[in-house]
Amino acid sequence: MLDEFCLDISNRLNTGILFLDCDYNIIMWNRFLEVHANKNDNDVIGKSVFSIFPELPRKWFERKLSSVIQLKTQSFCGWEQRHHLFELFHSRPITTDSHFMAQNCTFLPVEISGELEGICILIEDVTDVCHYQNQLNKALEELALSNRIDGLTQTFNRKHWEECLAKEFSRARRHQHDLALVMLDLDHFKLLNDTFGHQGGDLVLVETAKAVTKLLRMGDLFGRYGGEEFAVILPNTNLAGAEEVAERIRQSIAKNTIRYQDRTISVTASIGVATIDSIDTRYEDLISNADIALYEAKAKGRNRVCLAKETLLA
Amino acid sequence: MSAFDLSEDQQDCLQELINVAMGQASDQLARYLNTFVYLKVPSIEQVKSDQLFDSGHQNLEAIAVVSQGFFGYEGIRGEALLMYQPQDSHRLADLLGYEDDEMSFDEQIIDLSSILTTTFLNVFASQIDNQMSYSAPRLISANQGMVSEHLTQQAFNWDLALKVRISYQVTDYSFNCDMVLLIPEEAIINIKTVIDRILEDF
Repeated sequence: MLDEFCLDISNRLNTGILFLDCDYNIIMWNRFLEVHANKNDNDVIGKSVFSIFPELPRKWFERKLSSVIQLKTQSFCGWEQRHHLFELFHSRPITTDSHFMAQNCTFLPVEISGELEGICILIEDVTDVCHYQNQLNKALEELALSNRIDGLTQTFNRKHWEECLAKEFSRARRHQHDLALVMLDLDHFKLLNDTFGHQGGDLVLVETAKAVTKLLRMGDLFGRYGGEEFAVILPNTNLAGAEEVAERIRQSIAKNTIRYQDRTISVTASIGVATIDSIDTRYEDLISNADIALYEAKAKGRNRVCLAKETLLA
Repeated sequence: MSAFDLSEDQQDCLQELINVAMGQASDQLARYLNTFVYLKVPSIEQVKSDQLFDSGHQNLEAIAVVSQGFFGYEGIRGEALLMYQPQDSHRLADLLGYEDDEMSFDEQIIDLSSILTTTFLNVFASQIDNQMSYSAPRLISANQGMVSEHLTQQAFNWDLALKVRISYQVTDYSFNCDMVLLIPEEAIINIKTVIDRILEDF
């Protein structure tokens, strides 16, 4: 009577139970599996698990079961590592994008009076968990990205860029590496906005950001510092190298003609370059040195690159 | 001395139980991995939960942690954390006998952790006439920098942690991993009861 009750319960469980002998033949399974695999009891019992579920990664599966058999200890396989082992249908085919049931599988050694009789595999449907976790991960990724990116120009925003600078600054300090900073400001941007409207101005910002991005190497960190001001962090770069990059940026911006409502917009940039110096103790000093050089470039007639001078640092 | 501290006798008894468990577990492991596994006598220390991540892990950012809950009769329960330095974890697939592309790194350390935890605790349990069940092992995070953040953010419900350091050495390469057993306060009392019973029988 208790046996009957146990059988009944195992057939009502929302967990799959699959009982294999040590040669991987199916000795028993419960209703959950019968229904979700959509296979007939009679065609399954006594057959090799690999013929009933040909999708199983055979070598992996055998190695996994060998640990259960040899160590007589249970083993697991979670959906985060393998979405599913068995191709089973699940109860949310419409409201999730999972084709097969996401599964947590537990492999249990079945011992009867000390002798290993076989392996019991418990298969839990975690399609729900998997679905919501994936949605959460996606939302977190988007959030993390939008937290770093300037919506208009798709470059790093000021906050993230400054965090990057702080990190690069202390890294350069620690390892005594070079570090250069290029700050650029578009010339007469207010006039440009007045002439072409703010949408024209926005387009110039977007196109300028694209043009600069093309010139950068991996590891360079490009951000929008403010309104029409951009900044590039150049790790492991000395003053001469940074000047070269800055000059290429200046030329590229000056050559870039932007089509806007059948008109052509040309724009130039003034650029200040500074490198890390033994006197700089804070990354903010690097910014102000580059800023002073940028101001000098503006004062000398714009569309040019100026370098921060040692004398300015003292 | 709080109710959760172990007396010297209790401490010795526990060390002995763990040594034996580790010895048998490593024997099983060596046979399973089909290679010579050398384990040093595990060092055991009791750590207050709030100090768990203070010492010995200056480089916490570089650690991957796999957590697995265990529970047995007589209220013996806790959580096992296995901590890895990623640089030690190359060629784990080789060790476990899987093909290179058969398993992701995450899956490898989860698999290894589960084997280490369950073989060790099974032997430990059998010595105290107990039997353990386990939750599914979970990788807390393998992302650099995330683990220490994650762990320090947890308000621990644990008063005492039993930290068992295991060094694994395999003939052609070696790696270290720490197994930390976190045991909540009621379970410590339960373990003490079991230890006292063993000491009486002795």
